[in-house]
Amino acid sequence: MSEIHGAVGSYVVNALEGSELSEFEAHLAVCETCRREVVEFSETAGHLSTLVETPPPPALRASVLSAIKEVRPLPPESGADVHDEPAPRRLLTTPPDSPDAEPAVEVDELAVRRLRRSQRYLGLAAAAALVVALGLGGWVVNLRQDRPAQVAGSTLEAQLLAAPDLKVVSTPMRNGGRASFRVSESLNKALFIGQDLPAPGPGKAYQLWTIDGAAAVPDNLINGGQRQQAWLSGDVREADGAAITIEPAGGSETPTAPILASVSL
Amino acid sequence: MNISAVSPGTGGQSSRAGSPRPSTPGRAAENDLLAELVSRAARGHEDAFAEMYDRTSSRIYGVILRVLRSADHAAEVTQEVYVEIWRQSSRYAPDKGSVLGWMTTMAHRRAVDRVRSVSSDVARDEKYALKSADREVDVVWDGVEQKLDVERVRKGMASLTAIQREALTLAYFGGYTQSQVASLLKLPLGTVKTRIRDGLIGLRDALGVEA
Repeated sequence: MSEIHGAVGSYVVNALEGSELSEFEAHLAVCETCRREVVEFSETAGHLSTLVETPPPPALRASVLSAIKEVRPLPPESGADVHDEPAPRRLLTTPPDSPDAEPAVEVDELAVRRLRRSQRYLGLAAAAALVVALGLGGWVVNLRQDRPAQVAGSTLEAQLLAAPDLKVVSTPMRNGGRASFRVSESLNKALFIGQDLPAPGPGKAYQLWTIDGAAAVPDNLINGGQRQQAWLSGDVREADGAAITIEPAGGSETPTAPILASVSL
Repeated sequence: MNISAVSPGTGGQSSRAGSPRPSTPGRAAENDLLAELVSRAARGHEDAFAEMYDRTSSRIYGVILRVLRSADHAAEVTQEVYVEIWRQSSRYAPDKGSVLGWMTTMAHRRAVDRVRSVSSDVARDEKYALKSADREVDVVWDGVEQKLDVERVRKGMASLTAIQREALTLAYFGGYTQSQVASLLKLPLGTVKTRIRDGLIGLRDALGVEA
């Protein structure tokens, strides 16, 4: 057994990273035996989950079921459809003059990896679609580290997710929503993700703030909704924290309503 | 209340009119049912997806929680995984294994990705890891419900050598890379690689070919 074959177990339990992973994935593309073992061992590893069954928090059910309402299931796999990834586009109210106003597309590394994995099932028809053809070329030789770059329009978010100092801070909001900030100081970027944000009311909007010492610096505006995300435009590196309030639709210079959630950055 | 993957959903939520179902189907029957649900989900049936959630969420959440050890992160990742399952539902094919295997694979991968991306958030430095290495194995073995399925997996794990079991446990439940496992167990990387693979082979054989 060659040494690379031997990594199949580690691959299945996701214990490979970096060059180990990319080398094995390159091998996988050409080794039928390993592909078969991956399927078998994944099945086996899945049984381990019986040892740790834990009921999720009851509220999660409603949250999941409401989250899927916004997501269209992919069409069945047939080459030509593959570029039709409905990467969920989130409503974003970043002001158009913001440097970060590129459309926020959820980086779905899992989907990308799955796509890459399933590329061997694609028929020749796939090559007809330029996007797909480019994608395949990329996927075959692509290292895992590069994968966020495969998702068009998501480079900033991909960079954030790949940042070595990425920090995720989540907190419940007083009105029932959930605020989560993905922050990288090295990139000086923070992405706010709000879940289950109740409608802010007529003529109102959610406003983000960065907290600098005792001062609240106005930041971007967001609508209510099941899942909303927006980049903070403020200086994340200098900020001590971030907060969210409900303000008049045009935004305020200082908070005029109670803080619904705040986090330290 | 302990909701298992084969129990009929979560109490009240499961009693949807007109969908009677066996309370304890065997593994093959359970997979047939899940396969049917996943194909209905692919056609946009949210109720089928809800039933899938009820039947699988303690397995999925359990794995994610075990790897992440933070209820907050686990809930967030569990939601991401289910949204992904919904999105990918048309892509499930029996040649990828059972539905539950397909789902847990996704869940485990996402959980491990999260561990690696937020490692600064979670205390996972080596010193901590060394101290917790034994506990890691113990916790999994404690407090496990006496059920047929669980019993078979436990027996399978028990049939492995101590090193195979430890290496597999640290990698799967601990979310450690093979290099970290090697350093935790003070073994050469090549040995760990082989033990993880042998462990999976042993477990697969112990569980039989029906998977």
